[in-house]
Amino acid sequence: MNAISGRRSLSWSRLRGENNEGILVLVIAVLAVVVGISSPSFWSLSTLLNVGTNSLENLVFAMGVLIVIISGGIDLSFMAIGIFAGYAVVVWTNDTGFGASSAWIGFAIAIVIGLAFGALNAGAIAGLRLPTLIATLGTQGVIRGLMLLYVGSKVVPKYPEGLQSLSTRYLVSAHDATSTTRLSVLIVPAVLVCILASLLLRYTTIGRGIYAIGGDAESARRAGFPVFRIQVMIYLIAGGLAATAGLMHVVQVQLANPYELVGGELDVIAAVVLGGASIFGGKGSVSGTVLGVVLISLIKNSLILLGVPGTWQRAAVGALLLIGVTAQALSGRAKRTHNEIALAEVAA
Amino acid sequence: MTDPSRALVVRLLHERNLVRLLGFALIILVIFSFASPSFLTVISFQSMGYQLAEVGLLSIAMMLTMLTGGIDLSIVSIANLSALVAAQLFKATNAGDAVGGKALGMSAVFIVLAMLTGLACGLLNGLLITRVGITPILATLGTMQLINGVAIVWTGGQAIYGMPEAFLAIGTGKLAGVPIPVIILAAAAAVAAVMVNRTGIGMRLKLVGANPTAARYSALDNDRALIFTYLSSALLASVAGIVMSARSASANADYGTSYVLLAVVICVLGGVNPMGGYGTIGGVVLAVITLQMVSTGFNAVGFTQFVYLVAQGVILIGVLALNQLSDRFRGRYRVGWRLRHAGAEAVQTPEALGPAVPAPEDDAPKRQPAPPRA
Repeated sequence: MNAISGRRSLSWSRLRGENNEGILVLVIAVLAVVVGISSPSFWSLSTLLNVGTNSLENLVFAMGVLIVIISGGIDLSFMAIGIFAGYAVVVWTNDTGFGASSAWIGFAIAIVIGLAFGALNAGAIAGLRLPTLIATLGTQGVIRGLMLLYVGSKVVPKYPEGLQSLSTRYLVSAHDATSTTRLSVLIVPAVLVCILASLLLRYTTIGRGIYAIGGDAESARRAGFPVFRIQVMIYLIAGGLAATAGLMHVVQVQLANPYELVGGELDVIAAVVLGGASIFGGKGSVSGTVLGVVLISLIKNSLILLGVPGTWQRAAVGALLLIGVTAQALSGRAKRTHNEIALAEVAA
Repeated sequence: MTDPSRALVVRLLHERNLVRLLGFALIILVIFSFASPSFLTVISFQSMGYQLAEVGLLSIAMMLTMLTGGIDLSIVSIANLSALVAAQLFKATNAGDAVGGKALGMSAVFIVLAMLTGLACGLLNGLLITRVGITPILATLGTMQLINGVAIVWTGGQAIYGMPEAFLAIGTGKLAGVPIPVIILAAAAAVAAVMVNRTGIGMRLKLVGANPTAARYSALDNDRALIFTYLSSALLASVAGIVMSARSASANADYGTSYVLLAVVICVLGGVNPMGGYGTIGGVVLAVITLQMVSTGFNAVGFTQFVYLVAQGVILIGVLALNQLSDRFRGRYRVGWRLRHAGAEAVQTPEALGPAVPAPEDDAPKRQPAPPRA
């Protein structure tokens, strides 16, 4: 393709990025300029902090979802794992007093819970070989039901000491005339997770295996990738990330509500897809996903600044998603015709 | 036994998944009948009927799209928007107290308008999937949010009340002891079954689902079949929306959001192949009834809904695992089966295919484009 389309298109495609990251950056920039002109308060530190606060838990959820989607699967259980872990850590620590003084222990317990449910998913998907959508749909019900049955079904406002102090620890805060905007210190682990996910996908054998399985599981197997082992790893990682994000959410909202999160799965999947990941697997990037999450959070934030009623948020995100997938479908089609022309020229 | 009914029995026995589900349903019926005296009563079954109709309609809608290898995540959004159209019209015309012929006439007109709303949403889905070329799961994920968003904007997130009795009867009335929602479900199931099994368009849906490339090479208009599918699923969804709002005497943008995934669960339990090409209306209806019996039965013996949530997941995974394992067991002795399922299985079960099994034929055109003629 390069030889035919020449230099100019090469630099354009490099700017555009492998997963349309360039387009996302452009959309975000245009949005920032347009909103900034009509509402100058957009250009402030508080907007940045707001977007960071709103997207940090979704970033961590999205990393797990991204890894599953790249491998050609789809996960509907991650929100259930997240709220189970977050809620259970608060309830159990309150009850037993174990690890009440340290948030680290809380996150460690959450990750263990996440890994356990990740193993459950892995068992159904890699072991029983059920389709991922259906397996995780089943485990979603099981996990949520178990939480409401055995962990609790009441909203818990009281937090153990460690988590309580974490929930009010901020990295930066911006003051203006009317209000104070703060950015939780949790942004640090969230960014760290993104960097680690990027390194995992790009530079490790497992990461390359995840792309390979997503491209074609049978080919990956014949190429020597341990498909079973990689699939188990994928769902363990996704479970651990979901649990981490769930506890981050619970810490941030300062009210452990077991009825939250579940039902919002498709929103995170939408952000990942907007970030250029292919629902068929084999394609997707951390940077694209980060941009997708940030774009959605930015849109919600801008609507408020522009004075659009909050009821418009959902419609706006839906329209954005449709525009995003339409653009992907059309560019995919263009690429296909391009390849066919190239093939024809080579043959001639 | 007459010939057609014998053929039916013979065919049913071939549907091993269906027979298994039927056995499962009977076991549940027996267990709960013994466990709770209130379970096997007319009243209990009537109340089950009111509850299962809307889920049943949504599940049939979902099943039609899964037959073509797609999925429709927007059905509940469409159902709610359609219900809102009817409810807002009743509200705008102050028809809440209307009686007699006027109420009937208005209800009829508004129901038609609600169904047209549903069809418009279905057309949007169909065009996005065929003309634009977006994968069904993504297209309907987007329209799900968009349609739901429009409904939220329209109502400000508030429930809308004020329908006349004539309209509410759709959700709460009885005809000869049978709840009207059940009659609507039965009628919809019958129409859908005839369409899928006895008409050309039904055959085309299944062919498109089984192998879109082969269907295109057989000169089928895939796009038209797909648009028809999403129109039908949206129409069924709007009927479900009307039943839902008539039963609850209100319409709300966020009613029944958990039904989307429940409909997928029911379809899969009912033996619909999510890859497309295979599924029966009977199986879906049986799965709806089974899950409703589990839910009502759990209630009757004093379990909470949380137990039902767990049971739903366990049943889904259990039934599928059983099907999978028995297929694998049988497959060991039947090479033909392995060949037929090679295409669908390759994604999930690469190990199941020995190296001796040749690559599935139907994928060939996709993987190696025919060399262009010079």
